[in-house]
Amino acid sequence: MKAINSGGVLAPLVIPEGLTSGTGLMNPSIFIDDDGDILVNLRHVNYTLVHSEAGQKFPSRWGPLTYLHPEKDQRLVTENYLCRLNQDLEMTDFARVEMLDLHKPIWEFHGLEDCRLVRWEGALYLIGVRRDTTDNGQGRMEYSNVVLDKNKWTVKEVGRKRIPAPAPDDSYCEKNWYPVLDKPFTFIKWSCPTEVIFHDPNELDNPNNETIQLALRACEMPQKDQRGSSQLIRWGNMYIAITHEVDLFKNYLGQKDAIYRHRLVIWDTEYNLAGMSKPFSFLDGNIEFCVGAAKQGDDLLLSFGFQDNAAFVLRVPKPIVEELILEALEG
Amino acid sequence: MDKLPNLIHRLSQDPFNYLLNFDVAQKYLELNQTASAVSFYLRCAEYGENVVGAKRYVYSSLLAIAKCFDTQKGRELSVSNTLLQAIAYDDSRPEAYFMLSNYYERASQWQECYTFAVLGLGWSYEQEEQLVDIGYDGEYCLRFEKAVSAYWIGRKDESLELFKQLSTESILPHYANAVKYNLEKLNAGI
Repeated sequence: MKAINSGGVLAPLVIPEGLTSGTGLMNPSIFIDDDGDILVNLRHVNYTLVHSEAGQKFPSRWGPLTYLHPEKDQRLVTENYLCRLNQDLEMTDFARVEMLDLHKPIWEFHGLEDCRLVRWEGALYLIGVRRDTTDNGQGRMEYSNVVLDKNKWTVKEVGRKRIPAPAPDDSYCEKNWYPVLDKPFTFIKWSCPTEVIFHDPNELDNPNNETIQLALRACEMPQKDQRGSSQLIRWGNMYIAITHEVDLFKNYLGQKDAIYRHRLVIWDTEYNLAGMSKPFSFLDGNIEFCVGAAKQGDDLLLSFGFQDNAAFVLRVPKPIVEELILEALEG
Repeated sequence: MDKLPNLIHRLSQDPFNYLLNFDVAQKYLELNQTASAVSFYLRCAEYGENVVGAKRYVYSSLLAIAKCFDTQKGRELSVSNTLLQAIAYDDSRPEAYFMLSNYYERASQWQECYTFAVLGLGWSYEQEEQLVDIGYDGEYCLRFEKAVSAYWIGRKDESLELFKQLSTESILPHYANAVKYNLEKLNAGI
């Protein structure tokens, strides 16, 4: 891996098994807090993903890509843990996010999934997709406002807001919006054409509960749809984010399979897409997912899940980031 | 073995190396992170499957995956499926037969328990250091499974003879205790 060869660091994220029963720790979202703390939201799931690669000689009995939840429990359950890392990217603190008990989940996917961590106007938010409020699994992005006590290291959800899609709000599943870190309540919803939306979660400022389209920018369509992964962060006079693209296919038995790859994508400050790097992976796994990006000093920190079963943070040295940016700009 | 961060660091340089994947998996298993361990054991198996000299690692990885699913509970079909894959990959080793026999013992599926014990005893094995601790201490473990299951499928006399033989052998204490207990029950006519 080029980042490692250039002085980068790849750090595994692990929470003691006694808390998580050993099943998947995945899709971490990294964020540098106002006081410099390196925070990570780490998703814990009740399943183990089996993805058979290479010659696929040892698939599960249900195929090469399978979510192995308990056989008598169809649910795919998510909990979240908020963690703090030290400068060596070692986990020093962790706590399960104590969510408000607002409703009984009524679909198989329980909990707030693939949260991106942001702090906007002083409030810390986990922003992810929830699909357990309707009996057909309709997904909507939700703000989960959490209070983190850094002395006791406890995390409690104190408010929740389900975000409608821009009118007419009739889509089935909204997910993987990129929060724009330096623009409160602003997201890129689609990469190309680039759709920028805004939703203020404060009822007083948004009495009609609207999600507003701020911009829709045409761009040259990439070969594959670029979907949201990390937050959108400032890098000099531009925005960068890590996106993901997916090949979904079936084997000759009709069993599903997939390959995920990532790119570094650049927008200017007016949200015009300025370029994208070539596709890359982190550990050469076919199922990887980057949910976090943060600038720390000169370096870029990227957090990603590996096969839904393991979580890592990668420190990418500035020269490698700049190399990727150049590659992206040169197209 | 290196610490996990060092192993991950090395793996990032050589991600398809079956040995490195095995070592990373072992480290995750030590931490009881069974899902993470499954990912890397499976990569060891998939990327080592055609590599000369990798057979023990591939086979052991499949056993370890079954052990991980067993630990997670509620994934019985995946436990048995992985052990059947291990047998199909190398039917000359005893460990997967033992694990399946033991698995069926715990499920009170006595004929299956007995059959896999017999299948496992049908080979002459070289004693080989195990890469993963799956509770197999030697051929007598299969005879123990056979003894237990024999009783429940109407072979009480065979069961008694097997336990008598086991009682004369040097075996692990928890096996010795179980043999003693079963002999007492059988001799009491229960």
